[in-house]
Amino acid sequence: MTPPLYIALRFLVHRKRALLLSLAGVVFGVAIFIGTQAQTEGFAQYFIDSTLGSNGALIVRSRFRPQSTMLIPPKNSKTQASHRSYFEGIDDASAIMRVSRQFSNVVSCSPVLRGTLSARAGFENATVDLYGIDPALHLQTTDLAHQIVNGSFDDFRNNPNSVIIGSRLADVLNVEPGDTVQLLPPGGEYRRLIVAAIARSGIGPIDATRVYSHARVAQTLLHKPYTASMIIYKLRDPHSAPALAQHFETLFQHETQSWQDREESTLQLFLTLRMSAAITVSLIILLAGFGIFNVLTMTVLSKVKEIAILRSMGYRRIDISAIFLWQGAMIAAAGSLIGCIFGALLTWGVSNIPIRIRGLLYTNHFLVVWDWRHYMWATLLAIVAVTIASYVPARRAAELPPVATLRGSSV
Amino acid sequence: MNSEIRLSCHDVERYLGEEESRVHALRGVSLQLDPGSVHAVVGPSGCGKSTLLYILGLLDSPDKGSVAIESQLMSNLSDDELARRRNELIGFIFQFHFLMEDFSAQENVMIPMRRLGRLSEEEMLERAGGLLEAVGLGDKRRRPSRHLSGGEQQRVAIARSLANDPKVILADEPTGNLDTANSERAFDLLKNLVHQGEKALLLVTHNPAIAEACDWIHEMKDGRIIASHPRSSRS
Repeated sequence: MTPPLYIALRFLVHRKRALLLSLAGVVFGVAIFIGTQAQTEGFAQYFIDSTLGSNGALIVRSRFRPQSTMLIPPKNSKTQASHRSYFEGIDDASAIMRVSRQFSNVVSCSPVLRGTLSARAGFENATVDLYGIDPALHLQTTDLAHQIVNGSFDDFRNNPNSVIIGSRLADVLNVEPGDTVQLLPPGGEYRRLIVAAIARSGIGPIDATRVYSHARVAQTLLHKPYTASMIIYKLRDPHSAPALAQHFETLFQHETQSWQDREESTLQLFLTLRMSAAITVSLIILLAGFGIFNVLTMTVLSKVKEIAILRSMGYRRIDISAIFLWQGAMIAAAGSLIGCIFGALLTWGVSNIPIRIRGLLYTNHFLVVWDWRHYMWATLLAIVAVTIASYVPARRAAELPPVATLRGSSV
Repeated sequence: MNSEIRLSCHDVERYLGEEESRVHALRGVSLQLDPGSVHAVVGPSGCGKSTLLYILGLLDSPDKGSVAIESQLMSNLSDDELARRRNELIGFIFQFHFLMEDFSAQENVMIPMRRLGRLSEEEMLERAGGLLEAVGLGDKRRRPSRHLSGGEQQRVAIARSLANDPKVILADEPTGNLDTANSERAFDLLKNLVHQGEKALLLVTHNPAIAEACDWIHEMKDGRIIASHPRSSRS
């Protein structure tokens, strides 16, 4: 143990009240940081997982053809997009899927024929978003099987005249597995289908409108000449979806959208909430830093005599500052460690708070994320705040002239 | 310079304060301390005794003149180097003990040893125990210094000043806060240690009896040494 560390430890131990006050500030700041980040990111992560599980990380949609009216092609991709002619449906879904499966980031892909129609069950009516799917491929690409809350996916797979209905839509139509629901395309005739299962993705708008049917049934209902209006993709690294989307768009000449673009507004909202929480909590840690600054400044003032003694015994200026920096470091280390433990307990406690959300998301309790990076950032923030808070008193201590203290009143 | 000289200063000048309040505290002071010698500096308050002590102890720098320890000039050394020399070569004793209150007697004695870093924890404990034994505090080594009497605290300060076996001991009124019995005891202890260890001791004192018992008495007035009396000239 170095001499400054030894002395710092002794100084700290003998000022228990100041030590506890400083520690409390760091512990509180770190714990609150971890708790709020876990909670705000918990909702965001739940949304991301749910949207990826329902709509995939990437969607290839309408075929387009660039309009060649401009002599010089624009460089901006958005400007490029506004100068295209779009054609509904996917030309050759099988070929696109076959090529795209060659990409290492693609886990699986599934064609979907999508359209809007009316649904009726008993006296209840609703407008629904019909997804005509290939059950086997869709199972590989999405979390639909895990989203089933009532009924069975196998019943759907084995019966082409069956559908899977979103949980909130099922509530509206008042249907359960085994019931019959009628789907009515615009200008067409009702078709009776059996509800095989009810699915809950956790995202309100999906659960309130979505109906899954077999692709052939959807094609018949929607009167479409093509078998797929979009292809959804499951990716190994969903974060690299924007780059792959751009590449696919060029390669297949079909409009392609990543989940980041698709959910941009919601993701922005979550990011704003997280940033807001992070700023609030950072201010708490900053306040803790001010507390430590005060405590260490008071310690320096109360240890002027000891500093002069140490200097007279050959301790260097750097040793004196090290004593106070060590005190800060010990407060930061102990405070961060205890803060992380309290943060974990807080996160666990928050995750058990009952809350009934039936809007954008579906949840019965607070959603949290257990991420080691929250602990790392909280610790890093505490260390930076405490280091800054310790530096000034430490420097001040090192600059104290020992003679002025030792001299007393004599000249 | 003579290599036998432990500590010397030559023509030291020192100003204290700023502008109107500026005081010419030392006006060309020269002094040399031989091994095994005990020097007393006497004089009225404000004559520059403590200022001289802090300059000789490398805690303060002269505005003019030089200080040498064992013939090596200290003028051009960095602050860190001066601190190292202080730690290795000089032992300080102050009037008000200036012990670390929260530390035990032996921990106080170990503080200079820790900085020097030449001994293991066990060796430091052993040496501190030996020094405290030598000043008659062997049985109180673990007692917090604030729980010791004034005389005991001063003896701890003496033991601490000897922790790194310094060549020079500088004492600022080391007995000024003690009763007569304790004062004589502390001084005798110091004198014996200096004579046995071939160290040099310079002490600032107002106590005529203690000054008389020193090998040299240097009288100071208005920042100057106006007279130096060896023991032989006084008997």
